[in-house]
Amino acid sequence: MSIFTYANPQRFLRFVHYVLLPVLLIGGVLSAVGLYAAFALAPADYQQGETVRIMYIHVPAAWLSMACYGLMALSSIGTLVWRHPLADVSARAMAPIGAAFTIICLVTGSLWGRPMWGTWWVWDARLTSVLVLFLIYCGILALWNAFEDPARAGRAAAVMTLVGAINLPIIKFSVDWWNTLHQPASVFRMGGPTIDKSMLWPLLLVAIGMTIVMIGLHLAAMRNEILARRLRTMRVMAASGEGHAH
Amino acid sequence: MLTDPHFGFIFAAYFIAALIFLGVSLWIWVDHRHVTRALDELEQTGLRRRSEREKG
Repeated sequence: MSIFTYANPQRFLRFVHYVLLPVLLIGGVLSAVGLYAAFALAPADYQQGETVRIMYIHVPAAWLSMACYGLMALSSIGTLVWRHPLADVSARAMAPIGAAFTIICLVTGSLWGRPMWGTWWVWDARLTSVLVLFLIYCGILALWNAFEDPARAGRAAAVMTLVGAINLPIIKFSVDWWNTLHQPASVFRMGGPTIDKSMLWPLLLVAIGMTIVMIGLHLAAMRNEILARRLRTMRVMAASGEGHAH
Repeated sequence: MLTDPHFGFIFAAYFIAALIFLGVSLWIWVDHRHVTRALDELEQTGLRRRSEREKG
């Protein structure tokens, strides 16, 4: 099976029809179990107290905000290099989902920062680069809506997405390159996680569950985008008097 | 946890996250209903895409 197996939109729609509900159910159940463990089984932090519970939604949202953008960047390569028929559909469908996870990350981070740091916001490198990520998502969404032809919009958005991808390593390494108030990486780091196992497994469970839900939402949004393009084509045909069965 | 002085922050974080997440999910669902209904209406007028007409 190659990336072109589901290049046919009709085949892709059939695929989504069968997998969407199971994917959303599996992701939802894993997220729910993970959140139950985060609240009922994981201990409070010795310094942060109960406020550490915010981490179980903030950290997966932060990871997914970057993962969504990474997938958009891969889709953009698919648009510009291979002209894959579903690549720009994928990129367009992912942008609002990625923007949603980014705003969740920013808001929950701010709600954690107020009691822990004593401030809602600081202009440190990590927070600022995530805010820039959100603004890039907004810019890409605006660019998609600025063109009437989805193919032209797709190419322009793909170029912008790839330029904006430079922000991903900046977000990841901002806590190492600059002196930030935001703590350094405690899960994905050389030498292994520094977070205690009793907190790590619920966090990973929520993250895996939310990732599967994100995949489900992405498939659903891609289906909508394919149908919207089909609708646009049919409206053009109706306007030109073409397409009626005789 | 309910008696924790920072409970309001924890509640607000999960409440807002759920609101945003449900908002996106609802938007995708409503968009799907809207676009499938519009496609059905066009097809009821006898309009067919080229690939559909070729199929017969």
